[in-house]
Amino acid sequence: MKGPYDMGHLIANYYETGAIILFGVGFVTLLAHGNLIKKIIGMNIMDTAVFLFFIAKGYISGNEAPIIRSAKPASGYVNPVPTALMLTGIVIAVSITAFALSLTIRVYEKYGTVDLNEIIKMGGE
Amino acid sequence: MNKPAVEAERSEILTEVGKLIIPFIQVFAIYVILNGHLSPGGGFAGGTILGASMILHRLIFGWDNLISRLTYDRVMKWMCASLLIYGALKGYSFLTGGMHLEVWDVPLGTPGKLLSGGFILPLNIAVGIIVSITVYVFFKLFYEGTI
Amino acid sequence: MRKVFSVVLALALIVILLFGVADLPTFGNAENPSNNEVSYRYLEEGVEETGAVNVVAGIILDYRAFDTFGEATVLFTALITVIAVLRRDEDE
Repeated sequence: MKGPYDMGHLIANYYETGAIILFGVGFVTLLAHGNLIKKIIGMNIMDTAVFLFFIAKGYISGNEAPIIRSAKPASGYVNPVPTALMLTGIVIAVSITAFALSLTIRVYEKYGTVDLNEIIKMGGE
Repeated sequence: MNKPAVEAERSEILTEVGKLIIPFIQVFAIYVILNGHLSPGGGFAGGTILGASMILHRLIFGWDNLISRLTYDRVMKWMCASLLIYGALKGYSFLTGGMHLEVWDVPLGTPGKLLSGGFILPLNIAVGIIVSITVYVFFKLFYEGTI
Repeated sequence: MRKVFSVVLALALIVILLFGVADLPTFGNAENPSNNEVSYRYLEEGVEETGAVNVVAGIILDYRAFDTFGEATVLFTALITVIAVLRRDEDE
């Protein structure tokens, strides 16, 4: 359907469309469940969707990976900058997940349940 | 010293297979770390593989064997030393280059050999140690509840 | 009731973002604005200046080694935080 927005363009950019749909799936998982572990899983899925979106911006069709063995001009390689930037992000996602899980263990030991609605009903002690 | 929540039973198949396979996993991890500037891989991927081999060793052989070798003090000393070595090496080349001092610099060598690229090889080793110790301590804390 | 509301909110957000994706340049095109002179500089002079055949390793450990230092610090801080939260005192 043509117009000011071209919807057939979404099928050609299937990496970015898939990344945004994955972001939506993670977002619904974060909001809809009451279990704390499922909320943490939803946040991890949203992180992975952002990494996929960013790294897919660096691809150039027909070129090869940026490991220089023979003398080729610089236009024969894939863009190496987004990959180098997202390596730090992956490590930070792992750290945040580990910290959130350790706090969940402490909450479970104090209240006896991991359901968020029941914890709110028990009141702030 | 606390006991883990689930005691592992001694099983002969796991013990014998573990004795054969764990050295191969560690040699592969060291290969991936050392060839970080020649092929895909580097410090992060090699460090994760090394941490996975340490987790496998702890799962198969129980907690009596590793209590004496990977204690809390020794592990934290290795980790702090790696971070300080990374900071010192990176700070040396950063500051002498930024202030335009004419001091000794590491020779670059020919690209394609193992000992080339200046400071890239020691930095890869430091990052590998940091990542592997982090992954192992996360597992140990969540499995046993304490160090 | 809360679940229906959350699904509707997420769907609205995704539809707005998909309108934005429809305006992006074509996937894999060499004339994208993100393939500018920064990546050309890293690819052409990366081997001479750093001596690493792997260009990504040369970027994260030579040109931008400060970011890797900050990320190693984040790993160390997360480790110390998890130890501080989960450690139990020995007096009980």
